[in-house]
Amino acid sequence: MIWNRLYLIYGIAVVLLLGAGAYRGWSFTSVNEVKNVPGSIRDNPGSYRAIYSSYHHYTGGK
Amino acid sequence: MSPETPPQVQTLACPHCGAPLTVRSMGRAVTIVCGHCHSILDAKDPQLKILQRFEAATGGESPAIPLGSRGKWRGALYEAIGFQVRSMEADGLTYSWREYLLFNPYKGFRYLTEYNGHWNDCSVTTALPEADGIGARYLGKKYKHFQTCTAHTTFVLGEFPWQVRVDDAVAVTDYVAPPYVLSSEMAGSETTWTLGEYVHGADIWKAFGLPGIAPTPMGVYENQPSALKASAGQTWFACAGLATAIFVIFTLNQLFSQQEQVFREAYSFSPSSTEASFVTPEFELKGRTSSVEVRTDADVSNQWIYLNYALIDADTGQAYDFGREVTYYTGVDSDGHWQEGSQHDRVTLPSIPPGRYYLRVEPESDASLGTIAYTVTVTRDVPVLGVYFLALAAILLPALLISWRTYNFEQMRWAQSDHPMKSVGGGE
Repeated sequence: MIWNRLYLIYGIAVVLLLGAGAYRGWSFTSVNEVKNVPGSIRDNPGSYRAIYSSYHHYTGGK
Repeated sequence: MSPETPPQVQTLACPHCGAPLTVRSMGRAVTIVCGHCHSILDAKDPQLKILQRFEAATGGESPAIPLGSRGKWRGALYEAIGFQVRSMEADGLTYSWREYLLFNPYKGFRYLTEYNGHWNDCSVTTALPEADGIGARYLGKKYKHFQTCTAHTTFVLGEFPWQVRVDDAVAVTDYVAPPYVLSSEMAGSETTWTLGEYVHGADIWKAFGLPGIAPTPMGVYENQPSALKASAGQTWFACAGLATAIFVIFTLNQLFSQQEQVFREAYSFSPSSTEASFVTPEFELKGRTSSVEVRTDADVSNQWIYLNYALIDADTGQAYDFGREVTYYTGVDSDGHWQEGSQHDRVTLPSIPPGRYYLRVEPESDASLGTIAYTVTVTRDVPVLGVYFLALAAILLPALLISWRTYNFEQMRWAQSDHPMKSVGGGE
């Protein structure tokens, strides 16, 4: 009986969390947040150094 | 009879060894067993005729509830007056259990049985059960056949309201409906039915004031109630309700998410260009904080293009960096046509606040490849399916775990029966 109650409380918490996530647009994508990017980027886009720029690319094919 | 009232007893002497015998059941005893020489005596005979003598193993069996112990049990004061050990054989192994006879002058007799720390409170049925070998029915309750065996009495002590003998054999059939067990004992043409209810040793220890603590039960007993079984059905009921709630949230999210396209622009990238990075015009994310999908459609064929993206809030300078690769290869070999990758990519950024944004884009590709055309599309408030699958898994896993543990418990229970359950692996 206590298991059922614990499960119900847990399940309701999951559903509430899901509702909050759906409303707030949660997703699993990992993004890197950078604060206070200067507006001068718009004039000189090359001055911005994204952390993904050293990504090793797939160059294969079968 | 109360704890303060001295029990009414009669003291006799064993005709074989002269040891004092205490009779507690006041004329209801049919046999008395001398605890000193193990002579089984006819209590109805004024001369206490010796019916049988048996040799007890050194150390013998010692009752956990000493004879003469009194305790309040099921609302009445009972005294332990008899003790017997019975055994059965199965698969070449001998299994023994202990039975304690309790007596109250107004309530009569009842029994406590113990096997491997599992206790049952038993009393003779007040009506005749209906049994067909597969199951039994008693007072409207159904019982499943558990096992049929031959039980031999191997040790007796105290007094009994029936003719007891060591090596007595009876055919015992147990039917279970946890926490109850319905047992028939057949000796010759006489059948006795008893109803037992699983009880905790700690309750017996407390009731009879026994020293120490009750031994911990070993394994799963035939009528031991499962702590999880009652929960399993209710858990699946709750699981269905929670899954419905998840489906409702999903439907509402699908219906009311705006999926508003806020930006779309086509570009081309020449890998030989010296400065590839650029920023897009501003676009506005309205409404509440929500997901933002960035879709890239690139005209690549046996090519790749990698795009460093930064979604930047024009007012606060808050940037969200992410990188996406669009790669598509195709060809023909000895296995026929093949293809890898896709010309389309989409990513959903989590919880982006409203505001004016622009994208900083920095494409990369192999310098030896030609110009690549691609389109960037930004859409806000897009449903994310993954969180629904995660939520479903989160509510399913505990329910599955509870069911699995319940199944294991029942499998252990029925492994001791005449009807063992088949294991998931196919064995028994």
